[in-house]
Amino acid sequence: MAFASLEAYVHGNSVVHRWPPRLKLVGLGVLMFAFATVQQGILLLPIAAIAAVLYGLSRLPLGFLSHRLRYPGLFIAAVVVLLPFTAGDTVIAQWGWLALRQEGLEAASLIVVRFVSILTLGFILLGTTPFLTIIQAMRGLGLPVILADMTLLAYRYLYEIADNLATMQKSMALRGFGHQPRRWGVSRRTVQQLAMLVGSLLLRSYEQSERVYKAMRLRGYGYGQGNQATLGRTNVDAQSLVGWGLTVAVLAMAVCIVAVEVALSIG
Amino acid sequence: MHIPDGLIPAQVCAAGYAIAGLTTWYSLRQMNRKPDPTAEIPKASLLTAAFFVASSIYIPVPPVSVHLILNGLLGVVLGYFAFPAILIGLFFQALMIGHGGLTTLGVNAAMMGIPALVAYHLFNLRQTLGRALPDRVALGGFAFLGGALGLGLSTLIFLVLVITTIPAGFDVDTERSIILALSLAHIPLMLIEGSFTTLLVLFLHRVKPELLEG
Repeated sequence: MAFASLEAYVHGNSVVHRWPPRLKLVGLGVLMFAFATVQQGILLLPIAAIAAVLYGLSRLPLGFLSHRLRYPGLFIAAVVVLLPFTAGDTVIAQWGWLALRQEGLEAASLIVVRFVSILTLGFILLGTTPFLTIIQAMRGLGLPVILADMTLLAYRYLYEIADNLATMQKSMALRGFGHQPRRWGVSRRTVQQLAMLVGSLLLRSYEQSERVYKAMRLRGYGYGQGNQATLGRTNVDAQSLVGWGLTVAVLAMAVCIVAVEVALSIG
Repeated sequence: MHIPDGLIPAQVCAAGYAIAGLTTWYSLRQMNRKPDPTAEIPKASLLTAAFFVASSIYIPVPPVSVHLILNGLLGVVLGYFAFPAILIGLFFQALMIGHGGLTTLGVNAAMMGIPALVAYHLFNLRQTLGRALPDRVALGGFAFLGGALGLGLSTLIFLVLVITTIPAGFDVDTERSIILALSLAHIPLMLIEGSFTTLLVLFLHRVKPELLEG
């Protein structure tokens, strides 16, 4: 689980780090959506440049981004790899039966640049803001209490449950699971054993949740709304001129991108 | 089976968020009708985390291995809490491993979560349609339906969304046949997911029946 490595750089001191969380969430969120609207090839360079400049401002190391992009990048590559060879009629290059087509190439580059730019913004947000602060900012922006509580509790117990599963899998392996001779097809026995593994994991988590609930009740959970109000209150620092400046700039860029996109698609 | 950022148009992302928002609102309303909704929150949260962790388990089907989606099972066990649970699980996945995405969170949540709610209602049909059947047969049979159709519906939505929004230059008939062919290819996975759900529900029924009352 990779939250720890995701939070390795959250305590930096760049302008993006000092950007108040609520404003940062709104600014980067709107910009991500503006990037997602892009359909015109001419806008690809500007959005990639905006993402790169913001990443530069955040002073996160490049390795952080390249490491994070590797796994989702493989997935998107698998999705678009065929496009340049199947879509469109304008052939740019031909090798025997294999033809590289312009329309397909454009569609693939559109998807890849949009994907990398949006993900870069996402990693700027996550790389410069602690997870709990993000949830707090989302609460401040109107995330329902039940969802905020569920997210925080699930986050709190995720690692414990993952450790539980790892221990259970290790003891299964020690008792011979996975060492049977491999046969083709699904083995009913294997599926049954894995179903019991997941069942036991659910049971343990359920029983633990009963203990957690009792402990939370004893500490006043569910009585009155006082604790929730404090959770939601983040201080949008009015003096953070840089934060407001960044937000206005980012929102203006988002509006420009959407306006150019609409103008070009109508024209 | 997640839609990544940048793959589908922004209108589809926005529609996804709208549908996910409405479904979340409806689920929260149903949850608040429970006699003590706060008591359900820790249970739903820890089970959300457990499902998230369990979705990393692979089933060996030599020569390959398949990983489970478990959205049907989530619906069967968590009821209306399944939708927020899936939303949170996908949020974690987008953050931790970059699987899925933040702009496509709504689409992915609707794609996985609504079939989970369908699975929940299918599983509940055992109390009316399955009354004539022996207890274990009704329980196992409707769990199978929930698990298999939960995955089946999600796969269908995924394929329709991806194939119709990527400009691959196919005409409507070709798109339709690709969707049909790929959906048929997923039938064995539906059978595995359905059987897994049945075995797990029968196990829980034997050792902790109150977990299935959600």
